[in-house]
Amino acid sequence: MSRRVRLWILSAGGTGLAVLLVVACFQLPGFGGDQHPYGDRAVRESLARRTANTVASVNFDQRAFDTLGEMTILFSAVLGTVVLLRQTRDEHRAKPAPAQVAVPVRRYALVTLPVALLTGLYVIAHGQLSPGGGFQGGVVAATALHLLYLGADYRALEWIRPVGLYEVGDALSASAYLVLGLAGVLAGTAFLANTLLSYGTFNTLSSGGAVPLLNAAIGMEVACAAVVLLARFLDQAVEIEESGKTGKTGKSGE
Amino acid sequence: MWGVATGPLRRRAVAQNLSTTLGCPVLLLLAQGYDRPSYVDVALVLALLGPIGTLVFARLLAEDLDEDPPRAQALTWAAAGFAAAVVLAVCVATEPGRAMVKLLVTGALLIGGNLVASRALARGMPTAEERHG
Amino acid sequence: MDDALIAVALLLVAATATAAVATRDPVHQALVLSLLGVALALLFTVLQAPDVALSQLAVGSALTPLLLLLSVRKVWRRRQRQGRTE
Repeated sequence: MSRRVRLWILSAGGTGLAVLLVVACFQLPGFGGDQHPYGDRAVRESLARRTANTVASVNFDQRAFDTLGEMTILFSAVLGTVVLLRQTRDEHRAKPAPAQVAVPVRRYALVTLPVALLTGLYVIAHGQLSPGGGFQGGVVAATALHLLYLGADYRALEWIRPVGLYEVGDALSASAYLVLGLAGVLAGTAFLANTLLSYGTFNTLSSGGAVPLLNAAIGMEVACAAVVLLARFLDQAVEIEESGKTGKTGKSGE
Repeated sequence: MWGVATGPLRRRAVAQNLSTTLGCPVLLLLAQGYDRPSYVDVALVLALLGPIGTLVFARLLAEDLDEDPPRAQALTWAAAGFAAAVVLAVCVATEPGRAMVKLLVTGALLIGGNLVASRALARGMPTAEERHG
Repeated sequence: MDDALIAVALLLVAATATAAVATRDPVHQALVLSLLGVALALLFTVLQAPDVALSQLAVGSALTPLLLLLSVRKVWRRRQRQGRTE
C-alpha cells in the first residue's frame, strides 16, 4: 500500500471519528450541575455494602475486574522493564564504592523510614475508609524502603532488599487478587463478587466485605512491583558496566 | 515556580524543596476549609515524600551541587515558619484526639524534612576528610 | 470562592506544564516535573478528588525524579566511558 493510500484511509477514519465525537458532545449533559445518575447509583451501592470510601468501593467492588486489568498492566510493565534492563552478556557487575552521607541526613532517614513504612501500611489498610488504598499506599511503602539508599548507601539497600524475594512477592500478591476473585466463582456467585464476607459495621477497618482484602493484595503487589522496578534501574545506573573497558570509572559508586 | 524554571542548578533545587514546604500547608488549609479531615492524609503523604524527593536530587546531583552549593537560609527558615504557623492554626481549630496527632506528625515531618533536605542540598555530601566528624 | 481556587490551581498547572515542556535539559526538567506533581496534586484536591491527588503525590514526588535521574546518570556514564576510551 502506498503512502498516499494510507494517508487517505487515515483521514477517512479520522473524519468519521471526529464526526462521531462532535455528535456525542452535543448529547452530553451539561458540565457540573446536580444530576449525576451514575454517581447516585454508585454511592447508593457503596453505602449498601457499608464501604465508606466510594472510590474504593467502585475500584475494588463494583468494578473490581477493571482493577484486575490495571494490576496486570503494572505487572507486565515491570516485567518488560526487568527483561530490558537485565544484565546482558557484555556487561558485568562492579561493586559500588560506599558513599558518604551527612550525619543529619542519615539520622533523618533512619527516623523517617519506619514512619513512612507505617504510613504506607496505614494508607493501604484504610483504603475503604479514607482517601488512599492499595495503589497509593503501596507506592509510599516502596519509596520508604528506598530511603535507605538515600540515607545510607547502595549496599545497605541491597541488604534490606533481596530482589528475588520481592519478585516472588509481586507474583504472589497478583495471584492473591485472582484467587480472591475465584473464591467468588467457587462459592457460586460471579467472579470477584463481593458477597462472601460480611459487610461489617460502617466506618470500621473491617467494613466492606472483600474490599480490604483486595486492597491489601493490590498494596503488596504495587509495593513489590515498584521495588523491583527501582532495583533494576538502580542496578543499571550504579552497578552494571560494560565489559571490555579497563578499570573502573572513578565515580562508579553512589 | 519561576525559580525552578530558570536560573542555575542550585536555585532550582532550593525552589523544588520550597514547593513541597509551601504546598503542604496549603493542603492543610484546604482540608480545614473544605471541612474534610481526611484530606490531612494527602498532606501527610506530601510531608513524607517531599523531603525524600529533595534528598533524591541532593544525592544524585551531588557532584553538580558541590561545585555551586545553594545558599538560601532565610527563605528556608521563612518557609518553615509559615508551615509551623499553619499547623498551629489548624491544630487550634481541631479538637484533640487522633486527628490532632495526625496533624502534629504531619507538621513535624514537614518542618524536619524541610530542614534536613535543605541542609543536604547546601552542604552536599562531605568528602572523606570531613567524614569522621 | 471555590471557583476562584480551581482557577488558580488550573493556572498554576498550566504555567508549570508549559515550563516543563520548555525546559530542555533532562535534569532541570526532572526538577520542574517534581513541581508539576505538587501543582497537580493541589488541583486534584481542589477538585475534591483526594484519591487521585494521593496517587499523583506518591508517584510524582519521589519515583519519577528518581527514575529520570538514574537514566540520565547511566547515559552520562556511558558517554563518559566512551569518550575516555577513544
